Amino acid sequence: MSAASQSLIDELRERIRRLERCPARREGFLPSGRPEVDALLSGGGFPRGALAHLVGGPASGKTLLSLSTLATAAAEGGLAAFVDGRSELYPPAAEAVGLDLRRLLVVRPRRTSPAARGARGAGRGEEALAGLWAAEALLGSGAFAAVAVDVPLRGLVSARAEAMLRRLAAAAEKGGAVGLWLGASAPGCRVPAAVRLDLPGVAAGVADGRMPSPLMAPAEREGPLPEGEGRLFPVGVRKGSAGGGRV
Amino acid sequence: MSEPFAAAGQPVIRAAPRVLALAVPDLALQRGLRSRPGGGPLVLCEEGQVVQASAVARAAGVRPGDSLVQARAACAGLEALPLDRAADHKALQGLAEAMLVLAPAVEVGEEALLLDASAAAVGVSANAAGERRPSPFVASVESGRPLPQGEGCPSLESEARLAGRALEMARRLGYQANAAVADGKGPARALARSAAGGTLVVPPGETARAMAALPLEALELPAAALARLAAVGIRGVGALQALPPEALVHRFGLPGAEAVRLARGEDRRPLVPYLPEALPEEWWDCDAAVENAEPLLFGLRRLAERVAARLAGRGLGATRLRLRLALDPRGEERLFFPLARPSAAAAGWLLLLRERLGELRLGAPVTGLWLAAVEVAEAPPEQLAIGDRPEVARALEVVLSRLAARLGEAALFAAEPADRHRPEAAYRAVSFRPNGRNGARPSPSGRGHSDSAEATRGEGVCPTATPAATPAGIRPTRLLDPPRPVVAEGEGGRLTALRLDGRAFPVLCLAGPERLAGEWWSQRFDRDYYRVRLEGLGDAWVYRDGLDGRLYLHGLFD
Repeated sequence: MSAASQSLIDELRERIRRLERCPARREGFLPSGRPEVDALLSGGGFPRGALAHLVGGPASGKTLLSLSTLATAAAEGGLAAFVDGRSELYPPAAEAVGLDLRRLLVVRPRRTSPAARGARGAGRGEEALAGLWAAEALLGSGAFAAVAVDVPLRGLVSARAEAMLRRLAAAAEKGGAVGLWLGASAPGCRVPAAVRLDLPGVAAGVADGRMPSPLMAPAEREGPLPEGEGRLFPVGVRKGSAGGGRV
Repeated sequence: MSEPFAAAGQPVIRAAPRVLALAVPDLALQRGLRSRPGGGPLVLCEEGQVVQASAVARAAGVRPGDSLVQARAACAGLEALPLDRAADHKALQGLAEAMLVLAPAVEVGEEALLLDASAAAVGVSANAAGERRPSPFVASVESGRPLPQGEGCPSLESEARLAGRALEMARRLGYQANAAVADGKGPARALARSAAGGTLVVPPGETARAMAALPLEALELPAAALARLAAVGIRGVGALQALPPEALVHRFGLPGAEAVRLARGEDRRPLVPYLPEALPEEWWDCDAAVENAEPLLFGLRRLAERVAARLAGRGLGATRLRLRLALDPRGEERLFFPLARPSAAAAGWLLLLRERLGELRLGAPVTGLWLAAVEVAEAPPEQLAIGDRPEVARALEVVLSRLAARLGEAALFAAEPADRHRPEAAYRAVSFRPNGRNGARPSPSGRGHSDSAEATRGEGVCPTATPAATPAGIRPTRLLDPPRPVVAEGEGGRLTALRLDGRAFPVLCLAGPERLAGEWWSQRFDRDYYRVRLEGLGDAWVYRDGLDGRLYLHGLFD
């Protein structure tokens, strides 16, 4: 097919989308805002209209990377959303990476207390489903350019969790948004992501000098603290002392 | 108050205002039919007699004036409603609310609405020199018939378009109406009531000529006056116009003077604008008890369009809807729908209603629906930024409303920096308005709440540092609420590990402290924060509480 024909087909598709009042499909890649990470990704960023899986531990830098990506989306004039199923996101950190907080929607599905969960006979799976439903609605709406999803899947059986994740991927494709999945996958559950970025692996690469650190700010001091420096307490701390540090 | 344009000592002669009258014939009958989609035989009764009958009932032989017993004998399954003039007036007020989107003032009259058509000349534009001229659209239709082009004279085409929009609006709300535009509200109403199924636009100054063709009953004179006029052979308005007014006033008194004034199109009374007070509510009766969602959605669509049109007329948008479902045989289910932003878009509401109804499990069939806007707010037009697309704005409104309805309004927010030193209070949740203004945003430096230990040691509050400029101002991406206590393990005066939930994480390095303290007047806090790199976990934000001396994990640099 010639380039002119392809161009004509694309133009006609765009007209049909306008006639159907569907949001314009976003194509291409969204840079993460971290050149070191973008260099690792084919296309120079996360693919639009697909799900990307950021794998990492509790402090691996995946949230910072997702906020940086959302900041890029907001800087392009798009809207960003963060589905915060753990209710842990700290927005001042988002502002610190240059994300315009007015263009960031934070969604926190209602957190029920363990007592209330027990009384209603509902497990954490209910909260997970609410968070996944919100993520699907945001990704498929066409209103958001990038959506980060951090929803723990505890309480869901793996088949159900995988089905929900497939729906997220389909919603991202429908809405043309970049979906960033931060939650750990349940055992036996495969995340249908177009890109999988293993952040401990990135960090390991940083540690052995293969790449500069994109995620971790350099600490002031490395290694064991010298004698007499960095003391948390005015008096020495005995190994194994309990009670939070008072000697 | 003196009239600014009147010469001193001279009386002010006010011109008759241009008025669009919208007459709703058989209002009580139409009101009954619009909430009954089945369109079965229906009559309105008063004191056991049929006053109005629907087309189906008339086809079955029912006539106004029949007794209710006769009517029931003639038509099986006839439904009879009592005449309720207060409800009729209320229905007309609902229609007037929707008409406010078309005219600056709307008066609620007897089976008719009167709209101020003075501003209807929207088709007349001004050129750069300020000279008024017909718009190209008006000019294109002018060739067929002459239009008055005097200075300040509204275009007939514009008035016809206004009348057409008013009729269309009434039709969407479930009413068939007739429209007429004329000088003065009395003549306009008389012409509208006689304009069967159409629109009549009378050019300015020609109202008397248009009125001449009407029967005398159009003037709504007292029955006695009508009988006396008929006795002397006067049956039409044209014949009345030919009589000397002094003689009519002499013989008929005040009604005679009023009749002459109306017949000559000299009604200079201003409109009495209707000011709606109650929030709109619409209802829909099911023909039979409904057990599945599809028929309900059909009715809901009608209701949503009607409520939305009434809100739009007042420049308002709903922020909370209430849907009541009447259950068979008794009882009701109430559902509330919070909306993310003030909205008068029925299409957006329907998405929420459909989603919720699809999940609803009712214990009994539904016999009726009521939809009301229970909370409203001014609905300013959406301000789009350069590059924004309207379809994205619509999609945003829909998804925000869906989320608010399912998760609750508190579950979605935008963060706004707060000028507080306490980390967990350093931002506040505000409503998400990407193109609006959530209030003044304090500059980052104004929120300075961190400093190095050297600068702040011995002081309660550290007011000056810029967070982005110092490593001490770097904040974690995750904040734990509440902070989790950790236990320190040390050797030789140095911290070697932190124990969290029974598991020890060796400390690789740390930075700090950064002292944060203050709020002595309410809930005092005094904390030394450290950024600690833990093996097997990553960077953590740990503080030593100066009040109890314990260590807490407050955040993670994830």
